[in-house]
Amino acid sequence: MSEQLTYEQAMDKLEETLKRMESDKLSLDEAVKAAEDAQKYFRICVQRLEEARKRIEVRAETEPTE
Amino acid sequence: MGRSAAQPPGGGDRKLIPVLKPEEAQRPYTVTELANEIRRELRPLTALLLKGEVSGMKRGTAGHYNFSIQDGLSRLDAVLFADDSRRVTTLPEDGQVFIFRGRVDFFGKTGRLSFIVDQVEFDDVGKLRARLEELKRRLELEGAFDPKRKRSLPFLPHNVALLTSPTGAVINDLQETIWDRYPNMGIVLYPVQVQGAGAPMSVTRALRRCNQEKVADVIVLARGGGSFEEMYAFNTELVARAILDSRLPVVTALGHTSDRTVADMVGDAECRTPTEAGARVVPKKADLLTSLRERRRRLEREVGRRLSREMDGLKSLRMRLLRLLTTLIQRPADRVARAQADLAKLSPVHQIERRELGLREQQRRLRAAVTLRLQVSRGRLAATGGQERIERALANRITEEARRLEGQRRRLVALSPESVLTRGYSITRDAATGVILRSAAQASVEQKVTIQLGSGTLGGRVEEVEA
Repeated sequence: MSEQLTYEQAMDKLEETLKRMESDKLSLDEAVKAAEDAQKYFRICVQRLEEARKRIEVRAETEPTE
Repeated sequence: MGRSAAQPPGGGDRKLIPVLKPEEAQRPYTVTELANEIRRELRPLTALLLKGEVSGMKRGTAGHYNFSIQDGLSRLDAVLFADDSRRVTTLPEDGQVFIFRGRVDFFGKTGRLSFIVDQVEFDDVGKLRARLEELKRRLELEGAFDPKRKRSLPFLPHNVALLTSPTGAVINDLQETIWDRYPNMGIVLYPVQVQGAGAPMSVTRALRRCNQEKVADVIVLARGGGSFEEMYAFNTELVARAILDSRLPVVTALGHTSDRTVADMVGDAECRTPTEAGARVVPKKADLLTSLRERRRRLEREVGRRLSREMDGLKSLRMRLLRLLTTLIQRPADRVARAQADLAKLSPVHQIERRELGLREQQRRLRAAVTLRLQVSRGRLAATGGQERIERALANRITEEARRLEGQRRRLVALSPESVLTRGYSITRDAATGVILRSAAQASVEQKVTIQLGSGTLGGRVEEVEA
C-alpha cells in the first residue's frame, strides 16, 4: 500500500507518526511499530525526491487526423 | 491585349467558316490560351483587402480550406492554402465577417475564379470581444470558473508537461526554473502552436495527448504574452473545453496581457511568467530535504528518548525486583535455620544424650551423697560408739540405696538408645570406624554403614547424599 504513496502523502504520514510518538501515548510495541513506519515513510519521501529523472522528453506533434 | 489582330491561324478556306465575317477573321483562342489570358489580366488584382462574410467553410484533403466570401449581392469562391492557413491569426468561420488579404486568380482546370487568401483579420474586434464576453458568461453559468471545481496541483510531480513553443525564451525559462528548483525533475515537452489559426487545435490535441499518455501529472500551458489577436487561441471555446476536460491540472502562464484569457479563467492555477509557473508546479528540492532532515532528527530523538526511558524504567524495576528477592529469600532462610535448630533439639539422639548427661549427673550426685552420708554416719558412730548399729544402719542404708539405684537403672534403661530404637528410630554408623553419623555431610557415596535398629543391625552402602 505504502509503495503508491506520493511524496506529500508519505510526508503527512511521517509527520502524523512522529506526532503520535511524541505524544507518549503509545505502548512500547506501538512505539516500535511507529518508529518502523516512520522510517518507511522517510525512505519513501527520500525515494520520491530522487526518483524523478532529469530529462526533457519532446513529444512530436501528431498530424491532425480530422 | 496581347494577341489582338494576329494572323488568322491555319490560313486558307474562309468559305467553310461562314459564321465569321472576313474582318472578324482571326485565329480563335484555345481555352487554355484564354484561361492564361484571363490569369494575366487578373494579375494586378493582388494584395487586395476584401471584406465579406464567410460561408461553406470546408477543409480540403491537402490541408487547404475552401469557402465563399459574400456581401449579400455577390459572392466569390475563396481558397486558403495549407501554408497560409498555418500563418493566419484566425481561421475564417461561417457567418463571420472578416477582412481578407489576398489576390484573385483563375483556375483553368475548373474554370473558376477564386480569391486566394493569405491573411485573415477580424473585421470588428469589438464584435469579437462581445462574442468572447458571451463565451465567458456561458462558462460562468456552467460553473467553469468555480474555485471548487479546480483541480489541486500535485505537491511533487513525477513529470511536468510543458505545452508551449519548442523554441524561444518561454521554454528556456520554464526549464531553467524547474531544474533550478528541482534538479532531477522530469520534463515532457509537447510542442504546440501558440498563435495562428492552427493554435486552438494544436493546443487542444496536446492537452488530450497529455491526458491519454499520463506521463506527466501536471500541465503548464505557456506563451510569451501578446496582443489580443495573438492570444486569440486562448480565448476560444475549443481550448477552454479542452482545459475543462483535462483530468490533469493545468497551469497557465500566458505572459503579460491586458486581459485574462478564458484559458486563464478555466485553468487550475494562473501564472503570468514561465518563472512563476515553474515555481508553482515544482517545489524546491533543498526545502524538502531540509524538512525531511528535520523529521529524521525528530524520529531519532524520539526513538532515543523512548529507549532510554524504557531502559530507566527497566533499571528501576530491576532494583525493585532485587530488593524483593532478597527479602523473599531471607525470610524463609531464617525460618529454615530456626526450624533446623528446633529440629535438632527434638532429635532422639540429642534427647538421649541429654538424658544420659542427666543420669550421669544423678549418679555423680548419688555417689557424693553416699560418700557424705557414710562420713556422717562414721562420725556419728564414733560419737555413739555403737559399731553394730552403725553396720546395720549402714547395711539398711545400702540396701535402700541399691533399690533406689535399681529404680534409677530401670529409668535409665527405658531411656537408653536401645529402647529408643525399639520405637522405630535407628542409628547409622560408619561401618569402618563405628562413628555415629549425625549429619548427611559426614557420609559419602559408596561408604559402608551399619544401621542399628531396635532389634538387630543392617549393613548397607550409601547411594546418595543430600547435605
